[in-house]
Amino acid sequence: MSGEGEQHQPAGEGPESCFRCSASLSQPLVCEGCGLLQKAPEGLNPFQTLGLKPAAEVDAGDLRKRQSKLSRQMHPDFFVAEGEAAKRQAEANTAQLNSAFEVVSDESRRFDWLIEDGGGPSTSDERQMPQEFLMEVLEWNETLEGAREGDAEALAKLPALAGDLESQRNAEQARLRQLLTPLPPTGDERYRTARRGLNAIRYLERALAEIAERQLDTARGTTSTD
Amino acid sequence: MAYLELDVLDRNAKPIVGIDLGTTNSMAALYVDGRPIVLRSEGVTDPDAASGSVPSAIHFGDDGKILVGSDARKALGQKPGRAIFSVKRFMGRGLKDVAGELGDVPFETSEGEHGVIQLHVGEKTYTPQELSSLILRKVQWVASRALDEQPVERAVITVPAYFDDAQRQATRDAARLAGIEAVRIVNEPTAASLAYGLDQKKQGTVAVYDLGGGTFDVSILSIEEGVFRVLATAGDTHLGGDDLDRELARLATDDAGLDPAILDDPALRQALRLSAERTKHELSRSARATFKLISPQHGIEVNREITREEFEAQIQPWIGRTLDACRRALTDSGLVVSKIDEVVLVGGSTRVPAVQAAVETFFGRKPHTELNPDEVVALGAAVQGHVLAGGTRDVLLLDVTPLSVGLETMGGAVAKVLHRNSPIPAQATEGFTTYADNQTGLDLHVVQGERELAADCRTLGKFQLKGIPPMPAGMARIAVRFAIDADGLLSVTAKEETTGTTASIEVEPMNGLTDGEVESMLKASYDHAQDDFDKRRVADLEVELGTMLRAIEKNLDAIRPGLDADSLADLTDAIEAAKTTRKGGVPVDQVQRVRDELERASMPMAALLMDSVAKQALSGKRLGDV
Repeated sequence: MSGEGEQHQPAGEGPESCFRCSASLSQPLVCEGCGLLQKAPEGLNPFQTLGLKPAAEVDAGDLRKRQSKLSRQMHPDFFVAEGEAAKRQAEANTAQLNSAFEVVSDESRRFDWLIEDGGGPSTSDERQMPQEFLMEVLEWNETLEGAREGDAEALAKLPALAGDLESQRNAEQARLRQLLTPLPPTGDERYRTARRGLNAIRYLERALAEIAERQLDTARGTTSTD
Repeated sequence: MAYLELDVLDRNAKPIVGIDLGTTNSMAALYVDGRPIVLRSEGVTDPDAASGSVPSAIHFGDDGKILVGSDARKALGQKPGRAIFSVKRFMGRGLKDVAGELGDVPFETSEGEHGVIQLHVGEKTYTPQELSSLILRKVQWVASRALDEQPVERAVITVPAYFDDAQRQATRDAARLAGIEAVRIVNEPTAASLAYGLDQKKQGTVAVYDLGGGTFDVSILSIEEGVFRVLATAGDTHLGGDDLDRELARLATDDAGLDPAILDDPALRQALRLSAERTKHELSRSARATFKLISPQHGIEVNREITREEFEAQIQPWIGRTLDACRRALTDSGLVVSKIDEVVLVGGSTRVPAVQAAVETFFGRKPHTELNPDEVVALGAAVQGHVLAGGTRDVLLLDVTPLSVGLETMGGAVAKVLHRNSPIPAQATEGFTTYADNQTGLDLHVVQGERELAADCRTLGKFQLKGIPPMPAGMARIAVRFAIDADGLLSVTAKEETTGTTASIEVEPMNGLTDGEVESMLKASYDHAQDDFDKRRVADLEVELGTMLRAIEKNLDAIRPGLDADSLADLTDAIEAAKTTRKGGVPVDQVQRVRDELERASMPMAALLMDSVAKQALSGKRLGDV
């Protein structure tokens, strides 16, 4: 929890130890020593909330375990007998934990946050994508368009297309993880490159979501008559 | 602070029961001695108390008498057309949402304030919340009997996972009206997974397929070291056993040449419904069953044999819709069928063999049926009650919100603020600004649903932000915070950030009750309860007066010579007053006074009597001779 990531940990953002038992806090929401709910300072970023160093690479299993462990300490289920104020604090802290978990556990949302935090361009500032990629996009759109209209040939192509897009997305994600590990200094040009990569990932994800929808529609036709 | 408070609290004081408030049946369970049990009292005559299962039916007698549960079903057999079923389908809905089902309601309906459905029974009107509270009161009574008359005032109440905010709020209000604190609202499939997971000590990924009387849910969960994490949920709040019954009734009557006009008679429709339900149950056990409907009044006699194949073909579209939801939940969870380790069936409708077969084919494995599908939800809710009562920290439910919450933007589109399947409690903050100089108010339209246009989603409420300090257009920075709590209920707060003013919010619930309305209904029911209580007390006192009068008169002649004149006059007056009071029509306080007066006036006589009894006992006479 220390070392080169410290530039991302702004100083003076609230207590680093529990005010009741003085145990040092691994994160700002609850004392794992005595179980006291902490009143987290405002404006914490998702990594700080989870007590993590910002990083492009996150182990999904470890993160889930961490969230489970912290939930066990601060979930409102365990504060029913402790009065309205404690219950509300537990709701607020768990909600904050959950929304941080949503950002950090979702690869695209995590990249998005890191790029913005690193001073990179936002999605609307950087719309560029490689020419080659755009050509491919045109090709899938044709298939998707056909599928939308119920064209049998296009529909038959969907599973293969989905597999294709998934491996492209995975490759792009791996490339971004590498590009952002270790995290470049704030304002580095690599954040712009990463944004372009993320734009492509978002495109791939949208197409994959649409394929999933089409496949749900097709399945619906086979099992239901209405 | 927290520690000290915990130590002084007596946790056993008030149990937190789990209540499954079902479309067809309702029941309560409690965690006792390391496991959840259904609350029932063996060997009692009341069928609901004996089985623990209360049919969610209400019967309104002509004499104003309201029957709930098995009594309501029995009364319906004798006098159809005066009962309400499946009130759960009306919770948090407006009339247009349930247009297709109003035909089964034998009473006039209208929409009250905020679009709440109202049923007109004689002079009185009832909202679905009030009707549900009647069912909850019966469940509460059954539970309390099973617990040696211990009051049941706190509960975990289950709702379909796919219930939206208005439906959850309506459930909470119904509990309040029944005098129950809903400590937590838990999703039915999640509760079921808890009962199942603890029973089977399972880890891994589980799909819960829950087809109840009126609603369908499917939830995908991961169970890991006591943490039950919902990954995705999908469903349909208008798909259940009721629909299967309707299909069966259609199948049976379509070729009987019935005049459709006859079917407008609610009494006949209720009879039809009961016959269909009976036939459905029989078809789950045997390959064929006879559907019977006899109404001499309408000159109808239907005897139609239905085969299981016929019925199964008829309900295929409904089963297909449940599978659509299963696919949706799988897609949302990011898993494929092969990653699902176990499938659990919940809800009475999963007894239909065609349903079981379809689930088995879809998931490619035999679903679990070890636990009674009618009880597993209440049992799981009891486990959660045990957790909330501080009984264990080994179990934790991490649930999600089933539907996205968003705001209507300019042009009628929806900007999603919290997405479906987000873990709850959840929170998000959206920024707004003013579009006119010195604008002090802002209208927000909060919707729930997955559609792109606000008009296609369900309105949760229209909020008006007031008290924004006057400033030029675009200068105000208003942060609106959306929070969904552990019950899945949404709250909205707002703050103007440049000045730090908290903007006030006026909420107008849709198809729901305001706190004020719940309060006044509660007061009305207390007044009612007070009334009932007074009547019973008067009756008890009158009986007591009778007993006292008989005892006094029996001994008066023998005692008279020994009494002084004042005491005798006093006693005679009290006897007269008591006799007048027994004729009735006297308020409870006065009856109580008369009784107390009679007791006081008879003291000298009682003293003499005791004296003579003692003397006679000493002289060898038996007590009984006095």
